[in-house]
Amino acid sequence: MQQNELTQKMTRLNQDAEARTTMLITMQGNCVVSVGDLSYLNVPAISALVAGMFSATQEVARLVGEDHFSILLQQGEKRNIHISLIDNTIMLLIIFDDVMTMGKVRYVARKALRDIADAYSYTKVDKQVDGEKFKEFAISLIDSIFDEK
Amino acid sequence: MLMPYMNHSAREISFKIVYYGAAMSGKTTNLLHIHKVLSDDVKGEVVMLDTEEERTLFFDFFPIYLGTIEGFKLRFNIYTVPGQVIYEASRKLIVNGADAIVFVVDSQPSRLNDNFQSWQSLMTNLELCNVDAGQVPIVLQYNKRDLEPRIEIGTIERALGLNGIPVFESSATRGIGVVDTLKKVSIMMIERFSTANLK
Repeated sequence: MQQNELTQKMTRLNQDAEARTTMLITMQGNCVVSVGDLSYLNVPAISALVAGMFSATQEVARLVGEDHFSILLQQGEKRNIHISLIDNTIMLLIIFDDVMTMGKVRYVARKALRDIADAYSYTKVDKQVDGEKFKEFAISLIDSIFDEK
Repeated sequence: MLMPYMNHSAREISFKIVYYGAAMSGKTTNLLHIHKVLSDDVKGEVVMLDTEEERTLFFDFFPIYLGTIEGFKLRFNIYTVPGQVIYEASRKLIVNGADAIVFVVDSQPSRLNDNFQSWQSLMTNLELCNVDAGQVPIVLQYNKRDLEPRIEIGTIERALGLNGIPVFESSATRGIGVVDTLKKVSIMMIERFSTANLK
């Protein structure tokens, strides 16, 4: 239920910002939620790359005497991205087409950050899996994929 | 504690496996061989961030989709770190959140010190990420075994006091020992995770 709430908030943000795609990505490069148009996106790849890019930027921040940069903007010919740090573990990525809406994107993102952070915090309670059962199935999958390669 | 990423929305459990080692030890060659031999339905696209000299600048990455367990899709994200000494910041961010590590050793005697230096960097980065090195499954892969001269198996373990660490011999360019290494570290990782989650 809490995950649905997070997805709903993200969907609303995506609409309010008139964005193409909005994603929540962990600093380890995993996508938590992605909403909007995903048809053109390689989600695992962009999650890994954005996390890497953001971490590199944090290193740049450190080198110039900042604790961190909380917002990253990338402007392109047809698409633009806005990344904002939510806490030290997740980032909000907004992909939008019209550069003229940059101000709107920033405003909507800033306004929604706290709300999304709260919704996200509820989803972090991990379900325990049955360790023995998981191990048995996972090793069987590993065998089937890697054997005789 | 080993903690893979669980996405309840996508019903997915992701583990991060990192190839670590000195520059030119064969980390990217390992990754590319694995990608080559896996069937299309279980692998994603390779992302490579290289310099013009084909040296890894940031990281190489691709996902392996293993299948579904109790409604959760199981995914391994395979990463390499850049080996060159100057890219310490990149290595730190890739090591962050690693669930298992393959340490690729360059078997050429002239690279012995580079291997030691890289191991030291791995230990430092794990510490910076608040990870107890003893809690992360690590496998040692002696690569470039097709080249002469080469260091003896045991050289690294003896020098670094790594008693009992699993060791593999490989020639990543020929695809020998590469999949065996990944399979071993994958099983160790799953066993560690399962033990931590025993009900």
